[in-house]
Amino acid sequence: MPTTLELRNVSKSYNKFVAVDDLSLEIEKGSVYGLLGPNGAGKTSSLRMMIGITLPDAGEVVVFGEPFKREHLDRIGYLPEERGLYKKMKLIEQVIFLAQLKGLSEPEARSRAQKWFERLELGSWVDKKVEELSKGMQQKVQFIAGILHDPEFVILDEPFSGLDPANADALKDILLELRKAGKTILFSTHRMDQVEKLCDAICLIDHGRAVLQGELREVKARFGRNHVQIEYEGDGDFLQSSPMVQSIHNFGNYSEVELAPSADPQELLKAMVARARINRFELAEPSLEKIFIDTVNNQNGKKENERKQHA
Amino acid sequence: MRNTWLVIRREYLERVRTKSFIVSTILLPAFVFAVTILPSKFVSMENKGTEHIAVVASNSAVADAVEAQLHATGHERKFEVDKHVNDNPDIRKSLDDQVREKKIDGYLWLTDQAIADGKVEYVARSSSDMIVNQNIRDAANDGVTRARLLQHGVAGGDLETLLQPVKVQTVAISGQANKLSETAIFLGSFLVAMMIYITLIMYGMSVMRSVLEEKSSRVMEVLLSSITAKELMAGKLLGVGAAGLTQVAIWAGFMAYVGTVGGAGASSQLRELVGGHPLLIVFLPVFFVLGFMLYSGMYAALGAAVNSDQEAQQWQWFVTMPLVIPIILLSTVILSPDSPMSVGLSMVPFFSPILMYVRIVAHTPPWWQIALSIGLLLATTYLIIVVTSRIYRVGILMYGKRPTLPEILKWLKYA
Repeated sequence: MPTTLELRNVSKSYNKFVAVDDLSLEIEKGSVYGLLGPNGAGKTSSLRMMIGITLPDAGEVVVFGEPFKREHLDRIGYLPEERGLYKKMKLIEQVIFLAQLKGLSEPEARSRAQKWFERLELGSWVDKKVEELSKGMQQKVQFIAGILHDPEFVILDEPFSGLDPANADALKDILLELRKAGKTILFSTHRMDQVEKLCDAICLIDHGRAVLQGELREVKARFGRNHVQIEYEGDGDFLQSSPMVQSIHNFGNYSEVELAPSADPQELLKAMVARARINRFELAEPSLEKIFIDTVNNQNGKKENERKQHA
Repeated sequence: MRNTWLVIRREYLERVRTKSFIVSTILLPAFVFAVTILPSKFVSMENKGTEHIAVVASNSAVADAVEAQLHATGHERKFEVDKHVNDNPDIRKSLDDQVREKKIDGYLWLTDQAIADGKVEYVARSSSDMIVNQNIRDAANDGVTRARLLQHGVAGGDLETLLQPVKVQTVAISGQANKLSETAIFLGSFLVAMMIYITLIMYGMSVMRSVLEEKSSRVMEVLLSSITAKELMAGKLLGVGAAGLTQVAIWAGFMAYVGTVGGAGASSQLRELVGGHPLLIVFLPVFFVLGFMLYSGMYAALGAAVNSDQEAQQWQWFVTMPLVIPIILLSTVILSPDSPMSVGLSMVPFFSPILMYVRIVAHTPPWWQIALSIGLLLATTYLIIVVTSRIYRVGILMYGKRPTLPEILKWLKYA
């Protein structure tokens, strides 16, 4: 498969702070790729290097199979984390201006913008200023501005943050539609549920390093089927201390449990039935959320140990 | 190039289309006119009434001469004069009382004894009206001189010939007579200096605010995913500068119209000033452009380095200060435009957009001085743009904590 984007051993520091540390990843053409990580992990710094806002200190950025050139930018769409729009500018002029910077002619940009505004139910707002819009509407306008030039590669930084469920769903539909049209999509997020629904492949970064990456299915399989998801009513506290449980993620009426290496899930179920009413008991792959939290905690634990050894 | 042009066009249209652009085009000259010219009008409008004074002299010849002079010289003021031919110091008491009781505005003590002792006095309730004081001083001098000449046997007819004043006209070495009155030059210089000052600050701050807005609303990131920081900054400075130049050009055009055709209601002073002084109009846009290019880069860097309006306000003085200094020094330079200090100050690049312009208006300096000051200004502008564009490029991507000065200096070294 041809790749849309490759990072090869990319590093970036600001003064002494290392934002991205020897990061490598490959995004296949036509796939949906999730860049995950806790806040401050280096997601935005990585994205910025892909679109030439900053240059890497070391390593190489390869886009559409060639070393990065500014000419590539006309084929890439970018949506920043927060709304990036001029408050006092009319919607239509705003979108046309941004599309012109991507090389579109004014009449072409205008006719495409009209279609998108109609489609996202903003048709009657085109001559309004951005400051008159709700947050969700602004997000839609932002989205239109990002893809009006029909980019082959769309990069979205935290696209779902601040969206209500209906708008998040609408955005998801459009992303799937873009994938169907053969576009490559990269988005960064710390919301795991969306990743599980959308992504073909992921890269989890922490402290600027890739700690986990690969195809989503393969990543989950790597963690094995030694996980149990339990929905229950009653007392679930004993799970915390049970020797059969390696680690647990407790949500009150729902727990995700990683079994100890030799533990038998049937024994756990029996013990559980004695104490609570069980509505669901399922042997499953770990959820991405659990993988995320375990991996990040693991990394931090390692760091902590290293620090202690140095001290 | 296309990108820079698109940014220029956006910045220009965003500004020129606003109501505030139209309003400030009209109001700013009105405001500047109000603060420079109206106060002097007020002073001369005040007390248009009659000034009632007493003149005390030892003989009627002196008293008559002074009275005649007061009536002759008082253009702005009318004088009513009580003559007392009596040099007994005792009457001062009653005159003092009359002044206190506001029966008279003041009295002039001009006895032979006082003249001989050099103790001629004008006693008044308030001593602040400069025009009245000047008139009385002139009249006393003139009156006494006339009385003395008469005493020495000069006949009345000869007196006028003898006292005929000489009119001195200031002529520049280049040979062209300076036809303007000094008041017109003084007020005119002040007026244009204020206009340059206010427009530079106004458009400089406009650059700063719009950089800050792009940064804090994250439009910046969207823009940078299409164009470079250099294109963006160039587009912004040129676009805002073009909007400012449009406004300044409208004023220059208006002044040219007033100077040549003479618009209705234009004050005679203004007409006299711009009509007799084409350089004033020519150099207004020139020095606006030069000054804007120097200062706007600094304002852009400032907007990029900070994160909020409050932070911007704290640092603003840093950029505004060099613009305020020439305003403080303004009257010194206007009054002696060719002194070594004025020449030196008008060469300092941060001051020259205002001070060289004022010198040109007040008393056109040699061409080499104008060329030198513009040359220095351009060279400095180049250096400033190199430095500020580096601060800008790094600053626009830095969020969070306000950078310290050492940090900003470090940005200069980033590749």
